[in-house]
Amino acid sequence: MNLENDTARWQAAGQSVRGAAHERSGMPNQDAICWRPDSGAGSSLVLAVADGHGSSRYPRSHTGASLAVETATQLVHDFVTGQADAENLSLVKRAAEEWLPRAIVRAWREAVGEHINANPLSEIELDALGRTNGDLTKAYGATIVTVAVAERFVLYLQLGDGEIMTVSDQGAVSKPLVKDERLFANETTSLCTADAWSDFRVSFQPITNEQPALILLATDGYPNSFRDEAGFLKVGPDILTTIRAEGLDRVKDNLETWLTDSTHAGSGDDVTLGILCSFVPFCG
Amino acid sequence: MSMRPGGELATRPLHFIWIADCSGSMAIDGKIQSLNTAIKEAIPHMQDVADENPNAQVLVRAVRFSDGAQWHVSQATDIADFKWEDLDAGGVTAMGKALSIVADQLKIPPMDERALPPVLVLISDGQPTDDFAGGLQALMNEPWGRKAVRIAIAIGEDADQEVLKKFIANPELRPLQANNPESLIKYIRWVSTAVLKSASSPASQSAAASTSGLNVPIPALPDAGGPSADDVW
Repeated sequence: MNLENDTARWQAAGQSVRGAAHERSGMPNQDAICWRPDSGAGSSLVLAVADGHGSSRYPRSHTGASLAVETATQLVHDFVTGQADAENLSLVKRAAEEWLPRAIVRAWREAVGEHINANPLSEIELDALGRTNGDLTKAYGATIVTVAVAERFVLYLQLGDGEIMTVSDQGAVSKPLVKDERLFANETTSLCTADAWSDFRVSFQPITNEQPALILLATDGYPNSFRDEAGFLKVGPDILTTIRAEGLDRVKDNLETWLTDSTHAGSGDDVTLGILCSFVPFCG
Repeated sequence: MSMRPGGELATRPLHFIWIADCSGSMAIDGKIQSLNTAIKEAIPHMQDVADENPNAQVLVRAVRFSDGAQWHVSQATDIADFKWEDLDAGGVTAMGKALSIVADQLKIPPMDERALPPVLVLISDGQPTDDFAGGLQALMNEPWGRKAVRIAIAIGEDADQEVLKKFIANPELRPLQANNPESLIKYIRWVSTAVLKSASSPASQSAAASTSGLNVPIPALPDAGGPSADDVW
């Protein structure tokens, strides 16, 4: 058992790999992943993945994705650990649903603004962005998928494409968020649009009898690498089985290879998978 | 090494559909022969584009329309195995019916949500003689119809530009005007290579930013040139 202390009920792991198509074209990995605390273990954890828009009109989307996971995990971690009245789940839920999406967008835009000030956009980047559009944050367009696990609740927040799946102790898979029909044919909602906060999907789930054994977060390059959705949904139970049989470290050791194989034989897109693992007796 | 989690991996399908006018007027001045030549000439270039992006599976079909509309190539065929059988011309211009049968194949299923946006190329030298509006509506009722990359090539001065513009449904993209065999070859080559390459990229973009309706960046058009002494159509 490698946990930092006895209260650690969750562990985080994850990996992001550059897409096969981006390897061929020389583009960087435009996905990002981050979790807090950095130790990846604790009674509460926040994990986020982000996908920078690959279109040429978003020349700094890889930076936008990095800023998205950094700002979102910090903000949500502060939110989860800073609740003065954590027993009042109704209040926490309301704040999570009403305040967090706006705060995440605001924090991301501020971070992008600082990055632009320190690194002004070049003429080439301005041309790619389209000079008629005055909002330079569009150059950083990205999605954000965030999950926070705490003693008494799990919070799911998602803006744009990507997937979250949960796996129960019995291996049953479910999706905690409703489908957004707009996420289709390469189009996604985005942090860079006006009123982006209103496009968030949020689910607040109190932990009563049973919490998920596993929560997976993925950018869309991963589900798009499977022939069908059933093939993607099988990832959750398969990883749970591996963790139980061989430990989370075994998954960590193999993750980069699995994801690299997936982008090469699948979508060609950047692929990122984040894992939150809850069951201490089987982890590590 | 533990076994890779999940089911079977697969590249993303990219459906490319030629929608070709085979009305009687296409028999005049060698139009149909030029179209057959242009598409045949484009196939190896499409294969090259597909080879450059092994993560997109380019699947090609073709619809012909005249007195009715039928699948000329009904099976979505991997471009590596695709062969073009010559079209012949005769009859009227059932363009609406052609769009309807394409719409049927763009339903989900048989289409897959994870597919790349399909490319539809409508080629015509005349005016529809059937319910074009109904066919177009059927196409646009399907999510993949609305999100398809829709390109139109007008052959000759008698082609109905307004109808082709309605098919494209995007003010930023006009029908390509081919008035001689060389320009037809040029446009067929462009859509078979530059457009295909753009559509096969997994790049995403903000839906709200897509005010143009173009979810796939359209590459620069080939030089159309002005009216030429070579114009025969």
